[in-house]
Amino acid sequence: MVKSKKLILLLLIALLTLSGCAGFKTKNTSEVEAEAGEKVVVDFWSFWGSEIRRPVIEKIVDDFNKSQDKIEVKHTFVPWGDIWTKELAAIAAGNPPDVVINENNGTALRGMKNQAMNLSKFLEKDDISDRFYPELWEATLYEEDSYGIPFNTDTRVLFYNKDAFEEVGLDPEKPPTTWAELEEYAEKLDQKNGNNYERMGFYPLFGIESDVWMLNANGSNFFDEDGSPVVHNDVNVETLNWIKSWKDKYGDNAVNAFKSQIDSQQGNPFFSGQLGMIVQTPTFYTQIRDYAPDLNFGVVELPEREEGSGHTSWGGGFVAEIPEGSNHAEEAWEFIKYLTDVEAQEYWAVKNFDNVANIEAAEKAAKSEEMPEKDQMVYQMAVENMENTLLTPVPTYAPDFMGLIKPEIDSILLGKKSAEQGLQDAQSAVEKLVEKNKK
Amino acid sequence: MNPSTKNKHKAAYFDSTKNRKKVLVSINFVLLAMGSLLILSPVWWMISTSLKTMTEVMQYPPTFFPAEWKWENYIRTWEAAPFTLYTINTVTITILVVAGSVIVNSFIAYGFAKIPFKGKNILFALVLSTMMIPGFVTLIPQYVLFSKLHWVNTYYPLVVPAFFGSAFFIFLLRQFYMTIPNELIEAAKMEGASHFYIWRKIGIPLIKPALATVAIFSFNGVWNDFLGPLLYLNDENLYTLQLGLQVFKGQMSTQWNYLMAGSLLVLLPVIVLFFIFQKYFIQGINLQSGNK
Amino acid sequence: MSKKLFNFKRKEGLQGYIFILPWLVGFAVFTAGPLLFSFGASFTNYNVTSQMDFVGIDNYKSLLMDDQLFWTSLYNTFYYVLFSVPLTTMGAILLSALLNQDVPGMRFFRTIYYLPAILSGVGVYLLWMQLLEPGTGMVNTVLSWFGIAGPNWLFDPNWTKPSLILMKLWSVGGSMLLYLASMQGVSKSLYEAAEMDGASRWKQFIHITIPMITPVIFFDIVTSLIGGFQIFQEAYVMSSNGDGGPVNSMLFYNLYMWKKAFETFDMGYAMAMSWILFIIVFIITIFNLKMAPRWVHYEGEEK
Repeated sequence: MVKSKKLILLLLIALLTLSGCAGFKTKNTSEVEAEAGEKVVVDFWSFWGSEIRRPVIEKIVDDFNKSQDKIEVKHTFVPWGDIWTKELAAIAAGNPPDVVINENNGTALRGMKNQAMNLSKFLEKDDISDRFYPELWEATLYEEDSYGIPFNTDTRVLFYNKDAFEEVGLDPEKPPTTWAELEEYAEKLDQKNGNNYERMGFYPLFGIESDVWMLNANGSNFFDEDGSPVVHNDVNVETLNWIKSWKDKYGDNAVNAFKSQIDSQQGNPFFSGQLGMIVQTPTFYTQIRDYAPDLNFGVVELPEREEGSGHTSWGGGFVAEIPEGSNHAEEAWEFIKYLTDVEAQEYWAVKNFDNVANIEAAEKAAKSEEMPEKDQMVYQMAVENMENTLLTPVPTYAPDFMGLIKPEIDSILLGKKSAEQGLQDAQSAVEKLVEKNKK
Repeated sequence: MNPSTKNKHKAAYFDSTKNRKKVLVSINFVLLAMGSLLILSPVWWMISTSLKTMTEVMQYPPTFFPAEWKWENYIRTWEAAPFTLYTINTVTITILVVAGSVIVNSFIAYGFAKIPFKGKNILFALVLSTMMIPGFVTLIPQYVLFSKLHWVNTYYPLVVPAFFGSAFFIFLLRQFYMTIPNELIEAAKMEGASHFYIWRKIGIPLIKPALATVAIFSFNGVWNDFLGPLLYLNDENLYTLQLGLQVFKGQMSTQWNYLMAGSLLVLLPVIVLFFIFQKYFIQGINLQSGNK
Repeated sequence: MSKKLFNFKRKEGLQGYIFILPWLVGFAVFTAGPLLFSFGASFTNYNVTSQMDFVGIDNYKSLLMDDQLFWTSLYNTFYYVLFSVPLTTMGAILLSALLNQDVPGMRFFRTIYYLPAILSGVGVYLLWMQLLEPGTGMVNTVLSWFGIAGPNWLFDPNWTKPSLILMKLWSVGGSMLLYLASMQGVSKSLYEAAEMDGASRWKQFIHITIPMITPVIFFDIVTSLIGGFQIFQEAYVMSSNGDGGPVNSMLFYNLYMWKKAFETFDMGYAMAMSWILFIIVFIITIFNLKMAPRWVHYEGEEK
């Protein structure tokens, strides 16, 4: 009996101490406001927690906080991917954060679904839309209204090994400009030893996937201006057959071996000259800089399918959104304006070697003194390539269409279906989906 | 048969069984040892990755042993985020949840196992049913519920539900309770004992191994819980260990060595506890379990 | 006399309700509401933020008639359950039998085999992705020592699900705990009596151990089935941000549901999916419960 009495006493003490613990204090929002004092607290969520990116965003936040005394931005790191699940739950509960970084290919969708706030009322007073690359701005629009402000982006370019070019008699200043040339050059660069490839000239699926090639080949996305799906057409059939031919030529074993080396970053065969050319994002340069500083390489826009079809590339990127239901939208807007303005954007660009959305900042970064010459060369190329770069925001009436196309592409490349058949099946599947959703 | 022959036979019998036993034990040992190697190799992979430099981690072909054993990785991992704070947070939540789980579930399960009452089977079916709903669909409504209670950004949503029972543990303990002979219960009832008394004095002691199992499962569940803390904790100074480990997983690349080191560190307390707690569910292999 | 009995029975019934009260309260407060909400929402086009109009059984009709991925994901999930549940159950029982002996270093062995079950989180899945690398991953390297050319595990649509089943087998030590705890309760005298009768260890195992631990086997099978149908995390992490793997071979039911809920925000649709799954699992569980008396032996009950 004594034992249990002692236990109960301990429990009570524990409970009392616990209730004082931060984790057990419940607060409602008005209390939080009162605590912050006079300043309005803006809740800012991002997934930038790495050693490199976190200090950069924290400094930007810090600078903003110091630059005025009405708003205090509080940055919280929430893990990549899960951050958006959490955001959705918070919106549903009516207590969302005030600024969130989101992928730009879903912004219009979120606008349509009332998850992201319509920013027109702010843009009417401060129209900052011309700060950004037009393609990026367009992606944030749903029915002509913007639901997010572009923050950063990327693109895809072709890296090639100049020394290897010279070695096999190719002009290092004349990289391939068409698919045919790409094949030709790769053939020359290939070095076979028995059944193994000591050097692979090029493989189209290292760094990007088939859908980017189809984008490049068509110069447009899977949906035309009316919103009808364009999955099965001659160009796409040709593209997939072309990719399959590379796969058949090198064989699965060689491809897999090279692929795992690429994934291992430092062991990337491009660095050791065992891979002649590779499509990558411009940030790939940071790896070259760190792991193979003496590599003599060049960067060029993606080859076009045939002359005149366009060097179309693909890009992704992120925007800053204000979730629907935020109580501090005005203040959030102030922060977003700062976040996407020249100073903050240039700082981000230089420190992270990242493509930013603000045109002026991007161009300034390319000439920045903080960037060594080689860096500048690559960055400049990336900025120029923005002209070729298309974004692919998901259509609001068929957001998960890729889930129907991707397995068909897989089947085609595995040889289970012909390109013709696979694409036809994909076409009808997507059409069905669009029908279903339009009801 | 005279006694001496009988004894000789007995001796011979036990000798041969002893030998047979020895052989079986050795085979057993060898099998277990080989299996352990298989089981441990991924773990070795984690350990060796945690001790490499990032450069070596990315090396191709991968090395089996780290070239240099970078013990400082562990220190740097710990410093990458406020892990000490996260540990305290996680420990707090865990102790509460485990205590709640063990006590409350053993209470509820006894009711379902040994007390006849109207509607018992239907209610038990209901309990089981709650296990069959995938978590996602209740994720948002539950979040909204907790939000209305102003429990978001506190530990309440993570701790309080544990004090109301969980279907998994109720089911588990009920199975164990049902192996207790009814005669024991009846006898106690004859003497006027309430079920509460029976639960405390008879039920609990007889299913100690199961309770230890629940404690361990529950500990695991909370210690490694990611979704709960992710959803309900907004302030970084309330984050738990699993949440903290996420800093190493970036959008572009993963900080493998630190991630592995962190995962192993987070794992350590669980292993230690398991090792210690083993005696509670392995009550003397050589002794006869008395009460039966 | 009968009045006394009646009162006693009522009193006992009352005690029963008190015992399960915590669960009832918890259910009413935390679970019932969200459950009812999700059930109701499955008949709407709820998308969390902008709409919730009644659409009748459209969602359900759509799923069963118009959605090929629904059937794909159901197939994948059944496949996984069909193989993983029997394999892991049998594996756990055998393992526990081995670990229930008086062999030197038993504590260490048990800890070792239990280790995989507590290694959780994204780190482990990423680890296995490395281990299953076709070229240099450890699994294929070890297989090559025995002259076997390992498949392209996570890249070959025929081998993606077996990869996950393999991963599940690695952590078979988890349920080992349950079986060990249960085997502890088997009276030694039973074994000794059998030994006297000349029964081999194997026979003892089959005729004494197994029947005595059937309550726990039952628990394991039911919970493994329920859990197996809900596989999600592994597929999400190991198929590049949840795209479902090559030819959608890892698109499990829960993963597809998650995508519908959080990527296209068709929450009502996803909720309909969850209730269909519930019905499937419920039927299977009832089946199990009905079959149980034929093979589950509760020592305590005179069934």
